[in-house]
Amino acid sequence: MIDPEKIDYRKLGFKAGLEIHHQLKSSRKLFCHCPAELSADLQKNPDFTFHRRFRAVMGEMGDFDPGMLVEVEKGYLVIYHANDAHVCTYEMDDTPPFWLDMESVDTGYKLASLFNCESPAEEVVINRKQYLDGSITTGFQRTMIIARDGHVKLASGKKITITNILIEEDSARKIKAEDRGRTVYYNLDRLGVPLTEIITDHNEIDTPELLIEAIKMIGINLRLTGLGRRGIGVGRQDVNISIDGGDRVELKGVQDLSLLTKFCAHEVCRQHALIDIQSKLASLNLKKEDFEHNYIDITHLFNDLGEGESAFAVRLPGFENILKTEVQPGKDFGYEIFEKCNLITGILYDEMFHSGEMSPGSIRMMNRSDDLFINKGQDGEIRAILKLAPGDGYVAARGSEKPVLHTLKKTVERCKQAFDGVPQETRRVLPDGNNEFLRVIHGKGRLYPDTDTPPAPYSMEKFHAIKEKGWTRPLDLLQKYEEKGLKLPMLELIIRDQKVPLFQKLVDEAKVPVSLAIRLTVEIPRWLRRKGHDSEIISQFTMISIAGNVMSGKLQTKHLRPMMKEICMAPKENQSSIVTKWVDQNNKKDEAGDVRDKWPDDARCV
Amino acid sequence: MSEEYQPPDGYRGPLLERLVEAKIRTWSVIQVNKTDGSHYEGVLLPRSIHTSDDYLSIKVDTGYNIGIQLPDDATIKEVGYNAGSYQIPEKIVEKTAGLPNVTLLGTGGTVASRLDYRTGAVLPAFTPSELFSAVPELIDICNLTPKTLYQILSENFCPEYWIKTAEAVAKEIEGGADGVIIGHGTDTMSYSGSALSYMFQDLPVPVVIVGSQRSSDRPSSDGPINMMNATTLAAYGDLAEVVVVMHGTTSDNYDLIHRATRVRKMHSARRDTFRTVSDTPLGQIKDKEIKYFKDDIRRRSPKEDFHLNTKMDERVTMLYFYPGMEPDVMHAVIDKGYHGIVMIGTGLGHVGKPMYEALDRAQEEEIPVVIVVQPMFGFSHLRVYETGRDMLARGVIEGKNMLPEAALPKLMWALGQTQDVKEVEKIMHTNLAGEITQREPYSGFPIFQGGVPNFYDNYRNVDRLEK
Repeated sequence: MIDPEKIDYRKLGFKAGLEIHHQLKSSRKLFCHCPAELSADLQKNPDFTFHRRFRAVMGEMGDFDPGMLVEVEKGYLVIYHANDAHVCTYEMDDTPPFWLDMESVDTGYKLASLFNCESPAEEVVINRKQYLDGSITTGFQRTMIIARDGHVKLASGKKITITNILIEEDSARKIKAEDRGRTVYYNLDRLGVPLTEIITDHNEIDTPELLIEAIKMIGINLRLTGLGRRGIGVGRQDVNISIDGGDRVELKGVQDLSLLTKFCAHEVCRQHALIDIQSKLASLNLKKEDFEHNYIDITHLFNDLGEGESAFAVRLPGFENILKTEVQPGKDFGYEIFEKCNLITGILYDEMFHSGEMSPGSIRMMNRSDDLFINKGQDGEIRAILKLAPGDGYVAARGSEKPVLHTLKKTVERCKQAFDGVPQETRRVLPDGNNEFLRVIHGKGRLYPDTDTPPAPYSMEKFHAIKEKGWTRPLDLLQKYEEKGLKLPMLELIIRDQKVPLFQKLVDEAKVPVSLAIRLTVEIPRWLRRKGHDSEIISQFTMISIAGNVMSGKLQTKHLRPMMKEICMAPKENQSSIVTKWVDQNNKKDEAGDVRDKWPDDARCV
Repeated sequence: MSEEYQPPDGYRGPLLERLVEAKIRTWSVIQVNKTDGSHYEGVLLPRSIHTSDDYLSIKVDTGYNIGIQLPDDATIKEVGYNAGSYQIPEKIVEKTAGLPNVTLLGTGGTVASRLDYRTGAVLPAFTPSELFSAVPELIDICNLTPKTLYQILSENFCPEYWIKTAEAVAKEIEGGADGVIIGHGTDTMSYSGSALSYMFQDLPVPVVIVGSQRSSDRPSSDGPINMMNATTLAAYGDLAEVVVVMHGTTSDNYDLIHRATRVRKMHSARRDTFRTVSDTPLGQIKDKEIKYFKDDIRRRSPKEDFHLNTKMDERVTMLYFYPGMEPDVMHAVIDKGYHGIVMIGTGLGHVGKPMYEALDRAQEEEIPVVIVVQPMFGFSHLRVYETGRDMLARGVIEGKNMLPEAALPKLMWALGQTQDVKEVEKIMHTNLAGEITQREPYSGFPIFQGGVPNFYDNYRNVDRLEK
């Protein structure tokens, strides 16, 4: 495995694209009249519950999406929690959609103009995109293309292509999984909240740094224009990654940008290792046909199996070393297979074993050697039963017969896939930077026009009017204030905190230096928030007056934190008189010499 | 390209002319470039009626569909061809000796349906092998033989189809079927089920009507589970009645068995829309297990006595009384030559005084008027108030607790047997197939049927207040 700390991304042909999801401001959900807001507590006792099971159905072009078929293999029982305030029979898939929320469609075309889309959909067609994980009660998400062929400009001047802007309904929130992951629980409050998906070209971004830059720039565009909803959990992104010789892998659930580089690095390692395995297999003269779905019963070797449990093993020709190949830090190829099997069949890591794990240097031995269910003697017997030749490997699993056989079936299938290198998969990122199988990447076969809703023409005059009106984008602000010392990271904070109007008022009208304006609009309010105070009560007038006093020397910057804290702590008092008091005190102190001790500790760190 | 050129489906007017001029076909991969710089590429899809004439429907590279316009100064050209074929894979199934034989008669909709480009909505699609491909679990339950009777939506049913269906069922029973399933659109199941109930005499096996509230082209369809439960009941149920089997709750949990003459579609869209009215359901089916809630169920019987009586007089109509209704409506019906009227009256079955003259005329002309009730639950009682007595004096027939959907086909059937109003009244007052019950149990009011999960939890705040 290559060293994740020392990756030359461009040399490996790293290519990445984004799918940014962000909830839109709206007064209702996209296809019903429930409020577009979440209930306070995900875990709260539901008003009612119900459960469903899902099946794969064909796409419009007459094919089953392979990803969907794997989803059905998981055999989920889905239990929904719902409350009356946020859920009606639409979210229950018990009533057809109501007319779509045109406010959200308008927002979509605003986004299309914000991101310079050349090719709008002139008639919006509602499509169904299948999801069988239970996150949507219908088994499909209603989603529509608003526009294509746009771009977003980065501070470096580079343009990132935006291939599609979509509007769709958000999915339900997962609460938990039980019964080896076979039973999943969802809260329905979020289902149907209008969401945009902004997709960039999968082959354009060539370093993790650029990826982060693009995510941030798209994010502040959404925030500055006020088109996106604010708050926690309103935005999330998936990242598509490939390297030369690899294939598109979608990393899901990337929330923490500080970990993004690590996520990319570990996926690059994985793809690189899988390509290595591919070429090793070619050099070993092995063929896919050598792999047989011949599962051998080895139950008799164990006396510690539970009631109704059995154990089976399957021979994997030439795979002894391949199963041991490290594909991500602390994870061998065998473990990668086990992760996938666990998700699909529910058989646990401790109930699976591969032939390379008995050796002391194996990943399993280094991690948790105590959870092996096979001992040395049994290992030898299995090798004899399976008639392993040198270099052959095997995988064994124990548990209820049906999922055990299913596990071995998936194992053989995955080994055969290794001949083709990197499979197209959607993978979930893990806290250690690694990722694990979630589903086969969804193809076009999972799309189907929605038969419940006719297409909706959208007036191009209206779209052109939106374009005419234009937007103030973050880069316009950066350009305007750059000479005065504004840098992009600070601008990001100003936008995030919704302080752009105040910042502009201070700088443009009150002629406050940018550094002081940042301190007043972002730094101190953030400090106050951390201390539990609401700085929003400080009026614009007070802010301007504070800035004026600092600029004329009547207040020192070190006074700002304690003074603004005092204002926050006395919401009923006249803010001007507090400022005047501090100005007076400062002037007296100037006369009386150093009275620093009188200032609270907090003041010193400014 | 050697085939003869066919203009693309569903396009009309000037747009069609443009497409024909550029030799664009359905499934052509087209490129459109406009002067404002917008550009599109995708597969040209058939266009639905009832949508605007001005847009092309295309499927773009991501699999999404969008609509675009084709202004005069835009260019369009074919750059490829990519025909879709929406066909559920075929699956050949052999019979297993020892398993019961069940026939599934498809009338449209239920089990397999697909996109209809003409309307953009769903069409019933149904072949035997499509069924097994969609619900492979059926193979293990019994020897199921699917046959297509018609492919119609249930609102297009009429008495003629009821008769044809009854004859088709009879043929299957005589041919050795241990049970018959009828796949039926849900809207008019109760009418068809009631009509069949009167036509079958000494029915020996279960006749199970089944459908789905979510079409089978959806991953969340209730169809497959309903189908499995209906098959289980038809194959193994010790029951010889016409019943409806549909979801008992919104969950994919169990199905309820409803007597066809007592069941009503109570919600336009919910999965658990079917409720037995003024009585309890006959039972439930869950995970291939049948549980009966009642004893007064007609059990399987020898086939020797089974026969059909399909004589029907279709000239029967139904009127819904409303405050201010004028008698001219009823006069018009009589003028048009209808032979019988089901009147849905208010409360216990009342109509307003102005209607009396029309009732008088119906009596004079020997046109039976059968009264059923708007509240849906409970009996018609025309002896409690003066109005009711006035109505009885004008010869109306109390429909007892017959549902409108059961009363209408029954009156047709009764008039098919006799023209004599007294005889018709006798038939209408006789319980033929559970459409009239002598007793109404406490649990006949459906909110108590246990069909709403967590009902009390849902209203726990109210509950708490009461405590």
